[in-house]
Amino acid sequence: MKRVSTVTVKKRIVTVFLFGLIFFVIINVRLGYVQFVIGDELMAKASDLWTRDIVFESERGLILDSEGEVLAENVSAPSIVVIPRQIKDPQETSEKLSKILQVETKKVYENITQNKSSVTIRPAGIKISEEQEIAIRGLDMAGVYLAKDSKRHYPNGDDLSHVLGFAGIDNQGLMGLELFYDEKLSGEKGRLSFYSDAKGRRLDSLADVYYPPKDGLNLKTTINNKVQTIMERELDLAVAKYNPDGALAIAVNPKTGGVLGMSTRPNFNPENYQQVDAKIFDRNLPIWSTYEPGSTFKIITLAAALEEGIVDLEEDEYNDSGSIKVGGAKLRCWKSGGHGHQTYLEVVQNSCNPGFVTLGQKLGEEKLFSYIRNFGFGMKTGIDLQGEGNGILFKPENVGPVELATTSFGQGVSVTPIQQVMAVAAAINGGNLYQPHIAQEWIDPRTEKTVETYEPVLKEKVISPATSKEIRHALESVVAKGTGRPAYVDGYRVGGKTGTAQKVGPNGRYLENNHIVSFIGFAPADDPEIVVYVAVDNPKGTVQFGGVVAAPIVGTIIDDSLRAMEVKPRSSGLEKEYQWPQEPKIEVPDLIGLTKDELTEYMTNLSIESSGKGDYIIDQAPKPGTKVEQGSKMRIYLSENDRENE
Amino acid sequence: MQKTVKTYHKPDYILLGVIISLLIIGIVMVYSSSYIWSEYKFGDSFYYLKRQLLFATAGIFSMFFVMFIPYSTWMRYAKVILLSCFILLFLVLIPGVGMVRGGAQSWIGVGAFSVQPSEFMKLGLIIFLATFLSKNQKKITSFKEGFFPSIILIFTAFGLIMLQPDLGTGMVLVLTSMIMVFVTGARLSHFFGLATLGLIGFVGLIISAPYRISRITAFLNPWEDPLGDGFQIIQSLYAIGPGGLLGLGLGESLQKYFYLPEPQTDFIFAILGEELGFIGGSVVICLFTLMLWRGIKISLEAPDLFARLLGLGVVSMLSIQAMINISVVIGLIPVTGITLPFLSYGGSSLTLTLCSVGILLNISRYTRI
Repeated sequence: MKRVSTVTVKKRIVTVFLFGLIFFVIINVRLGYVQFVIGDELMAKASDLWTRDIVFESERGLILDSEGEVLAENVSAPSIVVIPRQIKDPQETSEKLSKILQVETKKVYENITQNKSSVTIRPAGIKISEEQEIAIRGLDMAGVYLAKDSKRHYPNGDDLSHVLGFAGIDNQGLMGLELFYDEKLSGEKGRLSFYSDAKGRRLDSLADVYYPPKDGLNLKTTINNKVQTIMERELDLAVAKYNPDGALAIAVNPKTGGVLGMSTRPNFNPENYQQVDAKIFDRNLPIWSTYEPGSTFKIITLAAALEEGIVDLEEDEYNDSGSIKVGGAKLRCWKSGGHGHQTYLEVVQNSCNPGFVTLGQKLGEEKLFSYIRNFGFGMKTGIDLQGEGNGILFKPENVGPVELATTSFGQGVSVTPIQQVMAVAAAINGGNLYQPHIAQEWIDPRTEKTVETYEPVLKEKVISPATSKEIRHALESVVAKGTGRPAYVDGYRVGGKTGTAQKVGPNGRYLENNHIVSFIGFAPADDPEIVVYVAVDNPKGTVQFGGVVAAPIVGTIIDDSLRAMEVKPRSSGLEKEYQWPQEPKIEVPDLIGLTKDELTEYMTNLSIESSGKGDYIIDQAPKPGTKVEQGSKMRIYLSENDRENE
Repeated sequence: MQKTVKTYHKPDYILLGVIISLLIIGIVMVYSSSYIWSEYKFGDSFYYLKRQLLFATAGIFSMFFVMFIPYSTWMRYAKVILLSCFILLFLVLIPGVGMVRGGAQSWIGVGAFSVQPSEFMKLGLIIFLATFLSKNQKKITSFKEGFFPSIILIFTAFGLIMLQPDLGTGMVLVLTSMIMVFVTGARLSHFFGLATLGLIGFVGLIISAPYRISRITAFLNPWEDPLGDGFQIIQSLYAIGPGGLLGLGLGESLQKYFYLPEPQTDFIFAILGEELGFIGGSVVICLFTLMLWRGIKISLEAPDLFARLLGLGVVSMLSIQAMINISVVIGLIPVTGITLPFLSYGGSSLTLTLCSVGILLNISRYTRI
């Protein structure tokens, strides 16, 4: 055994001291690290722990029409806030609440006995009715409070429903403009922050901090509520009259691309969106649906042909034999026997398919499709709404002579209504393709000053102003003399084009006796202020002609809207060359032997009623060749079999 | 054993000043951190303050009383003291005799007049080890006759304390004893051997009770389980972090509003850090460092090996306990459950702690200058 010297002992004591010293230094450094390096982070987290927030909801911005009329606003509807710690008798309180709110007592009990500083009863206790509010105020229960809250109200009910959309239980935008512009409409929530102890009790010694809510901005739209009301009325009438599968209408200002009105059937009341089938509110038909445009698409072929200078409407002529052979296929004109000898202006007026095929052929596949794309088909227009369709064009490598031919009169392509409207607006407004838009301005709700303005977005110059003028002239003559006559409005020079689109069924073939009939019109033709498109899906109890069903609706909408917009009527003196109001009696055409489908696109200055069942017209009254007043009734008799085949 | 001429002189006033300072800071902080909880629990915001004042006063008197007891007295009664402590440690484990507080069966006695036998054991073992080691210093380099018997004794005491269980006190006891064995002159190779065994034992402990693992992981990332194992560390850091340089001001703590449980005991340093900031925290750490320095100085200048070891044992015990407590509070080591000497509200253990300072002060009267 070795004796340990006192020196060793002392050395070891000093060693212990040094270790102790080092450890105290480490502790002090760590203390500094906690308080300085991660101090702010801890402070932020601790503040969250110490403070309780009372949320102050911001007021959601209004949605206004272009003249300041309110389309969406807020009405007071308080929400129940329960502070569990202040409740004296949870059982009794939950029984009373469940009676008023009509929810299970057990659920309310579970809710209000949670270990939380405050709870809400969702969804029944959010935005309660006036009767419920009175009942709760009357009971004066401890720990049950009514917090100021508001819910969205749409004064015009189901008008414009798809465009406005709706806001949910927390005033969050869920659909339509409410969703698209949710951030700006909703503003920022405010809060009153107060310090509390861990048991949720307020610490009076510390001052509360108040962060005021920032109200949402008011959205002024391009919608003209008068125009919208007219459109809604006309669609309601059309639905009542034709009981269609669906219907839609769009009105656009061709000078800016601003949407004046937009409507869909079936529609819904945004305040009751929870009771509405999602298929209804999800489908804003004017931007969502895609289908073959039919003859309205001929406007694009016409625009391309005029811009390229390959046709002179007055001078060039075409002889329609009733069909045209393309790549081995025989494409027939809708009029049996053809339109005979016509100028190209008459080809447009008569909506003669073979005539348009020749225009397409002269243009060639590359040019025609390049115009179609420039006019905005095949891609979203970029309207400020969600759920827009793309449409489908033939892929360039798949375009043969037949595809070129059918495309030139509007078959084999698939487009959305808004694409057609914007393309036609470009064709008649001097050649400017605009991006459609609904938002116009953001207005500060307090100062009522405009804080942001949306300028029209010009996407493309598609044709020259001169070509555009020619198109206006040609389309005005369609309404004056051609298939669009029912859209004629006295005093406003209406131009337009009918369309009857075939629908493709589930088997990939065209459906029979099931069309989307449409009309696109604009006025006044010398300086267009409005473009209106109406499409009715599968109207019943009528012959499915665009001219018969849609054209008169567009005519009425244009007439009433231009008056509402205070557009000056054009003096008739300027219109002298057009004599359609004094149109003489017309000759009844020979329809016997045609099929019902062949009536599609038929000149419709006669009102046609049908008797019997079947596809073939076996007789008619009055007899062919009889002279009758325009718009008089004509009856056709149908049979399953073609009489000629008997 | 050394024969020395003992000169009797004035005690170490610096050490006395340091201890009184810590005691005053402690009384202020006990009141500041406890009055919310005290008011809530007893309807008397002064409840803890009054008791702390009572025990501190009793402690001061005891300290001065002990200061006048010649340290050699402790050597004479070392065996009796150790035996009594072991009996108390056994008694506390008997159900019905020992009382369970905070999940550990550590208390014995009636109501407010209850004591923790493990507290006595810490001091008792120091006195006995100082006696045993100073008498057998020659044998300490021998594993069989010196090192091994000491280790057996230490770990028997540790084992009994861990049966309560009271890991914090157990650790203080083991570390303090080890320092005494080390300073006496034990071979380093013996310590390395022991460390290896300790590591194996540590792994064994974790395997036998996997909840200890979560204690450790909770310390590494308390936010993983903020309401469970991480709760105390998070609440402690939420107090200290916002303190910054100067703190929120005396009495301005927010964490004491029931966020940090019983803030006047184990986590009093957290409230101190919150209210008095880095400055306040550093002052307390410096005071403990000063205490360590004065204690070491007394030990170095002590007249004989027994006094040397006794003084070192006492100052080591106090310093280690302070280090462990503060380290827990600032998230440096896992939560062990141990009070901060002189500052934490501690009842009878405060009195006992001050008695041990009395021993140290008595030794300081015999130092050779």
